[in-house]
Amino acid sequence: MAEEKQIQKKSFAETAFARYFTDFAEAIVRGDWAVRSSLIVMGMGFFKRKQIVKGILVTLAQIAYILCFVLFSIPNLVKFSTLGTVEYQDPKINPLTFEVEQFPYDNSFLILIYGIMSLFLLFVFLLFYVHNVKRVYAVMRDAESGKHVNTFKEDLRQMLGRKFYVTLLSLPTLGVILMNILPLLVLIAIAFTNYDKNHMPPGSLFTWIGFENFTNLFGGKLSLTFGYAFRKVLTWTLTWAVLATFTCFIGGILLALLIESEGVKFPKMWRTLFVIAIAVPQFVTLILVRNFFADQGIFNQICQNLGILDLCKSLGLVSKNAGFIPFLTDKNWTKVMIILINIWVGIPYQMLIATGVLMNAPKDQIESARIDGANKWKIFWKITMPYILVVQGPALITDFVRNINNFNVIYLLTQDVYITQDAGLYKSNAKEVDLLVTWLFRLTQEEQNYKMASVIGIIVFVISVTFTLVAYSRLMKGGREEDYQL
Amino acid sequence: MMKKMGMSKKRKIGGAFKMVLLLLLACLWLVPILWLLVTAFSAYPGMSRTRFFPEHWTLANFSRLFFHPDSILQYGRWFFNTLIIALFTCIISSIFVLMVSYALSCMRFPGRQGIIRFSMILGMFPGALSMIAIYFIMKSIGLTNSHVGMVIVYSAGSGLGYLIVKGFMDTVPTSLREAAKIEGANELMIFIKVMMPLCKPIIVYSVISTFLGPWSDFMFARLMLNSGLSKDWTVAIGLYNMLDKSLIGQNFSAFCAGGLVISIPIAVLFVIMQKYYVEGVTSGSTKG
Repeated sequence: MAEEKQIQKKSFAETAFARYFTDFAEAIVRGDWAVRSSLIVMGMGFFKRKQIVKGILVTLAQIAYILCFVLFSIPNLVKFSTLGTVEYQDPKINPLTFEVEQFPYDNSFLILIYGIMSLFLLFVFLLFYVHNVKRVYAVMRDAESGKHVNTFKEDLRQMLGRKFYVTLLSLPTLGVILMNILPLLVLIAIAFTNYDKNHMPPGSLFTWIGFENFTNLFGGKLSLTFGYAFRKVLTWTLTWAVLATFTCFIGGILLALLIESEGVKFPKMWRTLFVIAIAVPQFVTLILVRNFFADQGIFNQICQNLGILDLCKSLGLVSKNAGFIPFLTDKNWTKVMIILINIWVGIPYQMLIATGVLMNAPKDQIESARIDGANKWKIFWKITMPYILVVQGPALITDFVRNINNFNVIYLLTQDVYITQDAGLYKSNAKEVDLLVTWLFRLTQEEQNYKMASVIGIIVFVISVTFTLVAYSRLMKGGREEDYQL
Repeated sequence: MMKKMGMSKKRKIGGAFKMVLLLLLACLWLVPILWLLVTAFSAYPGMSRTRFFPEHWTLANFSRLFFHPDSILQYGRWFFNTLIIALFTCIISSIFVLMVSYALSCMRFPGRQGIIRFSMILGMFPGALSMIAIYFIMKSIGLTNSHVGMVIVYSAGSGLGYLIVKGFMDTVPTSLREAAKIEGANELMIFIKVMMPLCKPIIVYSVISTFLGPWSDFMFARLMLNSGLSKDWTVAIGLYNMLDKSLIGQNFSAFCAGGLVISIPIAVLFVIMQKYYVEGVTSGSTKG
């Protein structure tokens, strides 16, 4: 059954794709001279139907694009395959005129970005071009069958009426293209270049090197390679994401239940107390906490006074001659502390959300279960918990992906404090407590190793998307959502 | 009768036990905040190892923040920068989000489903990853170390965050829009005159959350504002840099005071938002 549906869906997508081209062909074959001549001058079809302003606008857009293509796209696209060949030279003083001369040089980075922009513009223009021919053909058919052809004023009015969505969506879409799609393309492109501190434009050039960065990251059994660091960081990233997500999720539910449970007075006041902790932004609390647990910090002093330091020593948790507990400087201690501190940061949020979810829990089901004689635990596990999981399932996945990319907690707690003892990791600029994102960030900021950072970026993206898609399709297949919908 | 009394007594003890547990947990959550609060009023500039509460109390840290800037510490400037960036981001993002939500919730047009699906996948791409590419792009158009650049970075892609607002708009009965349409209103008028008043709670929510985003962001600011010039920084970067290892001895109390000041607007907005928060998040997650 499901398979059948899928096939249907696929064939639908295929026909839609094919129709796109057949419609275009039909417009050319069946269109009159005006339609066909708009293949060359895009406004022609509109001129014939007396849509003068629209015709002029479309033609102007065409001219603007052609100018842009000649002046901007061609020079960049020509160099795109090599990313530039002319090296930078220091400006020289011309002995004849005594003026400082700067020879023209290639900036690989600008060529890369402008090249991608040019390709993207070309793609958009082609879409616009095909759409235009179809539009002109549709206008022709309307005119022939005696239907009313809109004037420019009516077209404009439509942009606030039936086609208001175009007006609404155009600016946000432009923003998304600039801030989401374009960076994604640039990131992917850089992963296939040798852009690093030895190839920094404008001083020097960089170029395409194929899959070398990827083989660098996955291959390499030796301990001084990126492969070694990558495996370690990836393992910790996934461990961290699982632990961080579940501890906060469960903790939030438990806290919400505790506050809501009978016998507890002033639930609102309790909730507010916990919310105070998240009213202070993370960059304050996390830096504060990291100083609180510093080797020479106040908490270490308290531990010393209370004899906890000695206790840890006798348990073998701290080396015998240490004068402090290395909360954020030893790799195992740090990992545990990061998880604990993240619980501290995360539970209030989860508690708020869980409270909202619990308020909407199916009360009649719970009531009837109680009448049937189910005890509290049974009700919780059989009704409340499945309900929470169904409602919160998608959010749980989002949280998991967000934790894979939890920059703040890791960076603010460990940057400048934690120093790795592992030579292999040090060589690759990684630390035991790094997530892929913080590693990526520090690779760019401290090492200017953009090529490897981009490869890591792509990998994290693939991981995030895979988890999300798999989990979503599982959840949707379950189809238990309806059971709880009112 | 006896049994009943036993039950209620047991319940009372259970309640008391729960309250004690909550009290302990609340203490755990509030100790760092308390430390922040009291250290902000400490006369000792560095971090005290031995005293949780300061020995001498003073307001000097606050006056230092606002009235005695030095080459590193220019808190007033940072505060102003952050405020401007957050305000403009908030305006642009809120408008974007409302526009996208209305289009996707209240209008039907070819390609709508496609846009929803595509934006969902695109939304999974975490901002943390595209940050270096964003940095490159901003650099190539000369907008790093610029507050205009920061506003663009924060607000340009905000249209993708429409889910919660759309979820809310989905719950508004279509009959209201139909009625307005029969009376001759076009979509623009329905958007402004019909939907906006109805969506007030979710507008409050989205305004506050888009304001708080840049207000408490560290990552992008750290990436974009790397000139080393104190006057360009936002509060997040300023506070981070003033606790550099060499400076922590003279700046820790001032850091706490600064952290306290930046938290006040958040706390106020949070109180306003709290009731919308629960509402908004749950309606968004169930409607999808």
